Amino acid sequence: MAIAKAERLMNLALCLLGTRRPLSKRELRESIEAYLEAGSDDSFNRMFERDKDDLRELGLVIATVENLDGEVGYLARRDSNRLPPITLDAEEAAALGLAAKVWQQARLAGAASGALQKLRAAGLPEDVDPYEAHGALEPRIPVHEAAFEPLMLACRDRRPVLFDYRKASAVHPEPRHVEPWALECWRGHWYLAGFDRDRGAERVFRLSRITGRVRARGTGFTAPVPDVVTVRETVASWAGEIADGTALIRLRSGAGYPLRAKATGVRELGDGWDELEIPYGHGLDAWLVEFGPDVVVLEPAELRADVMDRLRAVAKG
Amino acid sequence: MAGKPVRQVNAIDQTRRMLSLVTYLRERPGARIADVARAFGITEDELVADLDLLPMCGTSFRGGDLLDIDTDGERIWWHNPAALGEEAAEPLRLAADEATALLVAARAVATLPGLREGDRQALLRATAKVETAAGETAGASSRLSVTFESEGGVFADVDRAISERRRLWIRYYSPARDEVTEREIDPIRLVSVGHTYVEAWCRRSEARRTFRLDRVAEIRILDEPSAPPEIELRDLSEALVQPAAEDPEVVVEVGPGGRWVAEYYPHDSADELPDGGLRITLRTPDPASLRRLALRLGRDGRIVSPPELADSARRAAAEALAAYETQPPAGAGQAGQCP
Repeated sequence: MAIAKAERLMNLALCLLGTRRPLSKRELRESIEAYLEAGSDDSFNRMFERDKDDLRELGLVIATVENLDGEVGYLARRDSNRLPPITLDAEEAAALGLAAKVWQQARLAGAASGALQKLRAAGLPEDVDPYEAHGALEPRIPVHEAAFEPLMLACRDRRPVLFDYRKASAVHPEPRHVEPWALECWRGHWYLAGFDRDRGAERVFRLSRITGRVRARGTGFTAPVPDVVTVRETVASWAGEIADGTALIRLRSGAGYPLRAKATGVRELGDGWDELEIPYGHGLDAWLVEFGPDVVVLEPAELRADVMDRLRAVAKG
Repeated sequence: MAGKPVRQVNAIDQTRRMLSLVTYLRERPGARIADVARAFGITEDELVADLDLLPMCGTSFRGGDLLDIDTDGERIWWHNPAALGEEAAEPLRLAADEATALLVAARAVATLPGLREGDRQALLRATAKVETAAGETAGASSRLSVTFESEGGVFADVDRAISERRRLWIRYYSPARDEVTEREIDPIRLVSVGHTYVEAWCRRSEARRTFRLDRVAEIRILDEPSAPPEIELRDLSEALVQPAAEDPEVVVEVGPGGRWVAEYYPHDSADELPDGGLRITLRTPDPASLRRLALRLGRDGRIVSPPELADSARRAAAEALAAYETQPPAGAGQAGQCP
């Protein structure tokens, strides 16, 4: 049976952590059973390079040192790999325990558990069991978008990317070259903010509208990364959360609770209808149409016309 | 406890766990399997799999100093802790992804409106300590952020009712029927997935129901004790509303401007149409509730089936247009107001 990859990685990690002098590739190959069984030099070299990358991914700092004979050696120095002292009380431990289980994305869920386990090894208190203490509260960070992981890594490493993106009402997706800055999750959906090289300006993308693969494109950003990246404000304005006017509508008594909750003024007309003043932003027409015959827009005229337009389209079938 | 995502065995996750495990076990001879599994947030089976692998590991295979770790099924014994030098067993620094995953989640939870102030303060203190310990690797965590939405006042009342095991009275808005109804519910847990929901036993429908907090129009904590029946908690990692196989099927065809429907409605299939649109098949216990969707879509889509649903949307639109005839714009006279 082939030797499990975790066993091979663990042995490499322990060898590199346990040594005080750099170990050459040859020494490592002779010390680790999986490498002895690797067969050709080529397959060993490929395996060794991948394993070093994997260990770096989980946080190990591996130094590469050349000795007097020009031979390269490797070691994981204690001072660059040690967790600085950290003392957390039981409440803080419970809070982190709750935070560590909110990711629904495999890579980050694994990373969060890994962080908690490292803290546990460093003495994080256990008397309050974090997995039960907040049993009645379950925050979850959903990640359904395939583009999330490659974009997360590209944001982390500041690498430009290329992807096909279908704008809200576009027939075909278009390629976009983007220098990715930050990802933000709002109302359960992920958005990317970055510098759009084709348009020469900042843009926000919704991950669910990325089609196909996210590909790496070259290295290095050409535009400066702003200190503060605002994703949510942009998305909120798309969603019509930012109102720049007021609309006057009639609403059938008892209907349209969410409109009432947003209303800045309500007047009962006594004839089975109420008159409401509501904030008017992007997308209000589509929302009002949902209420069908229970809403009549009085003003502004353009909103009234938009809603009637939409109603005519539905009435025609 | 339900809701834990099922993860595939991942060599990187397992390696990092085993590295922490050796540090942890070195300090705790005779540790109990159940305690260690709980401390590490893994199942006992996962822990036993790690314990099967560790004796194959050491600082040098040739040197014969493999870790002599074994278990009698209850406790874990390490017979040669010296095989791993004290220095090699020190806790390891956090990787960039680890710091990011933990910090982004902690910051997100700390912003949950309605969270108990004590919990929020503990989260903020812990976040600051982890940032310090992570050092420069914490920097990349600013490139991810998550906001949970919640209604703070409603959240706090539900949280209190759960911890005091008391029943709740709510007035709740149902968008499907555009109506507000009164119910008594026995709350079970709060779930935040973008929006925040309370999962509860609804005394009116005698069934498990999920209520979105921003649709709670009014809430009161009752004196009666909450007594939800023992029900198995569902994994809410997918959709909160899972259609049942026996629910009627609805087919919607949308143009490019209606593709968002596939992002917001759980569906069985979404097939590309030649014009850049989609043909979406979904199931719902109450197709009439989709009249709103048909109205909203306007020229961006239409209901293909069931025909009754398409008809009801058409009728509602015609009725609405008729109301515009009789209700002229504000400030206008009664006559001559055809736009």
